[in-house]
Amino acid sequence: MSQIGTARPRIDAPDKVTGATRFAGDGHVLGLLHARLLLSTEAHARIRGIDRDAALAAPGVVAVLVAADLPLESAGGDRTSEPLAREEIVFAGQPVAMVVAESAATAEDALELVSIDTEPLDAIVDVEHAMSPGAALARTATDDEAGDDLESIHAGVDKGGADEEEELSGNVLDTITRQEGDTAAAFESSDAVVEGTFRTPWVYQAYIEPQVATAWLEPSGTLVVSTSTQGSFVTRNALARAFGLQLDRVRVVAEPLGGAFGGKFALMEPLVAGATLALERPVRLSLTRTEDFQATNPASAQVTHLKVGARKDGTLTGIEARMIVDRGSNAGWGVEGITSLLVAGPYRWEARDLRGYGVQTNRFTFGAYRAPGAPTAAFAVESLLDELARKLDLDPFELRLKNAVVEGDIGVSGNPFPTIGTVQVLERLREHPLWAQRDSLPENEGIGLAAGYWPGGNEPASAVCRVDPDGTLTVVTSAVDMSGVSTGFVTIAAEAFGVSPDDVRVVTADTLTGPYAGASGGSKVTYTVGTAVLRAAEAARQKLLLAASEELEISPDDLEVVDGEVRAVGAPDRSISVEQIARNTLRFGGRNEPIEGHGGSAQIVGAPSVAAHLSHVRVDPETGEVELLRHVVAQDVGRALNPALVEGQMRGGATQGIGWALYEELAHDEDGRLVTGSFLTYAIPVAEQVPEIDTLIVEVPAPDGPYGAKGIGEAPVVAAPAAVANAVRAAAGVRMHELPMTAPRIWAALSSSAGEEA
Amino acid sequence: MIPATLDYHRATSLEDAFEALAEPDARALAGGQSLLPMLKLRVARPSLLVDIGGLGLDAIELTGDELRIGALATWGALASAIELDSPGLAAVAECAAGIGDLQVRNRGTVGGSLAHADPASDLPAVVLALDARLELRSPDGERSVAAADFFRMPYTTALEERELIVAVVVPVPPSGSGSAYVSVEHPASGYALAGAAALVRSDATTSVAITGVGGRAVLLPEGGSLDGVEMYGDRFAPEEYKRHLATVVVGRALERATQRVEGAR
Repeated sequence: MSQIGTARPRIDAPDKVTGATRFAGDGHVLGLLHARLLLSTEAHARIRGIDRDAALAAPGVVAVLVAADLPLESAGGDRTSEPLAREEIVFAGQPVAMVVAESAATAEDALELVSIDTEPLDAIVDVEHAMSPGAALARTATDDEAGDDLESIHAGVDKGGADEEEELSGNVLDTITRQEGDTAAAFESSDAVVEGTFRTPWVYQAYIEPQVATAWLEPSGTLVVSTSTQGSFVTRNALARAFGLQLDRVRVVAEPLGGAFGGKFALMEPLVAGATLALERPVRLSLTRTEDFQATNPASAQVTHLKVGARKDGTLTGIEARMIVDRGSNAGWGVEGITSLLVAGPYRWEARDLRGYGVQTNRFTFGAYRAPGAPTAAFAVESLLDELARKLDLDPFELRLKNAVVEGDIGVSGNPFPTIGTVQVLERLREHPLWAQRDSLPENEGIGLAAGYWPGGNEPASAVCRVDPDGTLTVVTSAVDMSGVSTGFVTIAAEAFGVSPDDVRVVTADTLTGPYAGASGGSKVTYTVGTAVLRAAEAARQKLLLAASEELEISPDDLEVVDGEVRAVGAPDRSISVEQIARNTLRFGGRNEPIEGHGGSAQIVGAPSVAAHLSHVRVDPETGEVELLRHVVAQDVGRALNPALVEGQMRGGATQGIGWALYEELAHDEDGRLVTGSFLTYAIPVAEQVPEIDTLIVEVPAPDGPYGAKGIGEAPVVAAPAAVANAVRAAAGVRMHELPMTAPRIWAALSSSAGEEA
Repeated sequence: MIPATLDYHRATSLEDAFEALAEPDARALAGGQSLLPMLKLRVARPSLLVDIGGLGLDAIELTGDELRIGALATWGALASAIELDSPGLAAVAECAAGIGDLQVRNRGTVGGSLAHADPASDLPAVVLALDARLELRSPDGERSVAAADFFRMPYTTALEERELIVAVVVPVPPSGSGSAYVSVEHPASGYALAGAAALVRSDATTSVAITGVGGRAVLLPEGGSLDGVEMYGDRFAPEEYKRHLATVVVGRALERATQRVEGAR
C-alpha cells in the first residue's frame, strides 16, 4: 500500500500533548544564570549613560551587561550585530541592558534598579511622513556601509521613456521598480479602472512559545546555543560572524519549536551567546509574553496605493502600485521586493508599473511572518478585482479565471511561471456549494472570493538515512521540525525505502552533527529537504538490494522491497527480511556496507502554491461587528503526502488570515510606544470566533517535488484577509481599505456611506 | 512575569483577615483573576496578600423577596444557579455566563470583581439596574451600601480600609418582570466596550444601567436616556462609536428584557 496520501498523526504529537517534549526553556543546565532584558521605553533617543551600580549591588546579581560588554566583532545595526543598543535607541522595546543573576526573580528585581539616561530624539512613527523629503531620520548614526549618502537618496524611475526622479528622505532604504509596457495606455483602453489606498498594520506572529535561548561553553571552549529557532546553520553562521569565532567553535542546537511563523531567527541567541562569552557561565534568556510583544520582530505595516483596469470581456489591462513598507529599524531587508512582485497576483497583465519602498521608522524591527508581504499585497489587488467585477458585471471567478497565469506565462519577475494550479484551484472552489448560495442569503450576509499564491523557496539540502539492526530506518536532517515537516519525511522515506511508516524515525541533528539544511521557512522544506530524504532513502534501498542480492544470490534488478522484506520479483517465497540483512551487516566481520544512504537536492525551479478562499460573513449593521459563518479554502498542494497535515496547514493559514482581517494590530501612540502589547489589547482569533473551515485539496504535482509534493505552509494565509474583506463588501456594501476590519471601523464606514447616500 | 516580593497569609476567619489587613499595603485576594496578572506585571505591589478564598461566603440563596449572593461565589456558580432561573433575575446569570472564559469563570468571584471596579466590567451595570445592595464588613462592624453609591471612579469604590464585601443582595423583581444584560465586547479582552442591563417591570416601568463607556457604571434615568452620561473613547473605540454603541446596547437590553416579560405571561 502506498504511504503517499495516507493521513497519519504527527510524530511529535504524543510528546507534545503529554508534556514530554523538552523545549529550549526546559533543559536543566548546571550553574545556569538567568538573564532579563531592560527594554527601552522610548522609541528614539541617544543613550547618555546607564547606571547599573544599584543593580550590581543587589545580592544574586552577577552582571549588568550593556552593548560594550558583549565581545562583538561585527559592526552594523542589525539585531545580531547590535543585540543591545549601542549609542542610539531606535524603537521602544529595544533591549538596552541585560541583567544576569542567579535566579530569574533576582534578575527581574534588579532590572528595576537599572536606569538609563537618554536624550530624546524625534520618534518617526508615520511611514508615509518618514519617506517625504526633509523628514527627520529614524536612525541618525549610520554604519560604515551606509555612510553619509543615507542623508538623501533618489529613486531613479524610468516611466514611459521619460526619466523621472522622485525625491525621498534618507529613511527610504530601498526602492524597487518593476515596469513593463505602458500603463497609461492600458488604462486608456480599459472599460473600468478602479483604485484605492490600502493600509495594513504591524502584525505579531503570536507563537505559543515566547522566544527563548540558552548558551554555555564546553570545557573545550566551544560555544553551545540551545534555542528555539527555525534554522540552526543560519544561526550558527550569524553568531560566528558576530563574535568573530570559527564556525567549529559554535554549535547550535535547534530544540523542538513551540511555534515560530517566521519570527524566530537569531534574536535571542546573540544575547545569550554574548553574555556566556563575557561571563563564562551558562545563561538562559526566556522572554515573557509582554517582552516578546515589544522586543521581537513582527510583520511590517504597509501602505499600498493600487490602480487596476480591465476591459468589458474581463481582460485585465494595467496595474500600478506604490507600496510603502515600514521596516522599522531593520536596515538589512524588507518585503518591498516580494510584495511588489505578488501584488500582481496569479494573473496576466498587459502593462505594469509596480514600485516598492522600504522605509525605516522607529517601530519595532521588521521580521518575517508567514508569507511576508503577501497578505498585504493580496488584500489590495483582490479587493480591487472584486470592484472591477462589480463595475463590469462579471462573475468574480470568471474575471480571475480569464486572466489566471498558467505554466510558461512570464511573471512580474521576468521569468516564466513553472507548473502552477491557479485555474484548477479556482475551478474547484467554484464548485463548492457555498458559492451557489451567494445570491440567496439573508440580509446583512455576504460571501467573498479571493485568491493568492506564494512562489515557494529553494535551498540546497541533504539528508541521511540509516537502517538499524532491528530493520528500522532513522532519517537524519538538520531541518527544524516546523509545521510537521518531519512527519512528511516519514512518509517519504517509508515509501521510497519500502517499510512501514511505523518503522521510520526522524532525527533533527545540530550544526556539529547534521547534514546541511537551510532554515525552515519559505515553504521550501518538503520540496527541498524532502527530496533529499527521498534520495537518501533510495540510496539506502540500493545498498539493501545489493546486500540482499548477495544473500539470495539474485540480481538486485530482480528484487523488490515489500512490507519490510526483500523479495524476488514474482517469487515472494524467496525473501529475506530487512532486519536480517541489517543484522548480518552491522556486526563484526560483516561483509556488506552499512545499509545507509545520503541524498542531496538543489532545486532550481520554484514550486508556487495557489490558494483561494470563500468567506461567508454576517455584518451587524448597528455595531459593525463581523461574524464569520463559514470559510472555505482550496489550495494546490502539489501532492498531499499526508492529507491530515496539509489540511491542518490550510486551516491554520486561513485562521491567521482571519486574524489579519478582523483582529490583529500592533499599534503605537504618537511617541512610538506600543499600545497593544498584550493579549488583553491585541486580539487574535480564538476558537469561538473561527467558523468551520472547509478544505479542498487540489493536486497539481510539482515536477521536481518528492512524489509531486511542494511547500504549502504559506499560501493559505495570503488571500484570506481579502476574502473576508470582499465578504464584508458583499454583506454590508462597504469597501474596507484598512486592516483589521474592526467593528468601530466598519461602523464608521457604514455611517459615512449612509451619509453619502442621504 | 514574576511578582515583586510579598508575603502571603491565608485567612482562617473574617476577624483573622481584618487583623492581617491592618498591615500597610496589604490587599485581599479572592479569586485572583484581576489581581494576580497585576502582580505579575508588577502593576500592583502589595506587601502582603490576605487570601480570603477559604472563608466560604459563596452561598447563593433565594429567601423570599431577596437574592443573596455570597461575595466569593464564582461566575461559574452564578451562571448555573437555579435560583436565578426567572425572567426577573435573568440578567444576573446572563452577565455571569459572559464573563471571561471557563477558567476565569471557575476562579473569578463576584465580590472580587465588584471591589476591583474595572470601569469596563459587566456586573456593575446589573447590580445598578436591579437596585442591589452590597453588604460590607470591617472591624468596625457591618454596613449596607446601595450599588448606586458604591462605584465612585475607575478602580475606586466606597470600600474603606480593611473593609470587605461579604454579599450582594438583590431584591427579587416583582413578578411579571424581565431583565437582560447585553454587551459588545472588545475582541481581545472580552471586556465591555458598552454593556447595558435592563429591568422591565410588569407595569412597564424600567431601570437601565450602562457600563464600559466611561469611568464607572451608571444608572440611567427612567426610559434609559443617555443624555449627559460621561463617556470616553480610546484608540480602538472612539468616543463617537461608544456613544452610538451605548444606544444600541440599551435598546437591545430593553428589548430582550421586554421579551422576557412577555414570555413570563
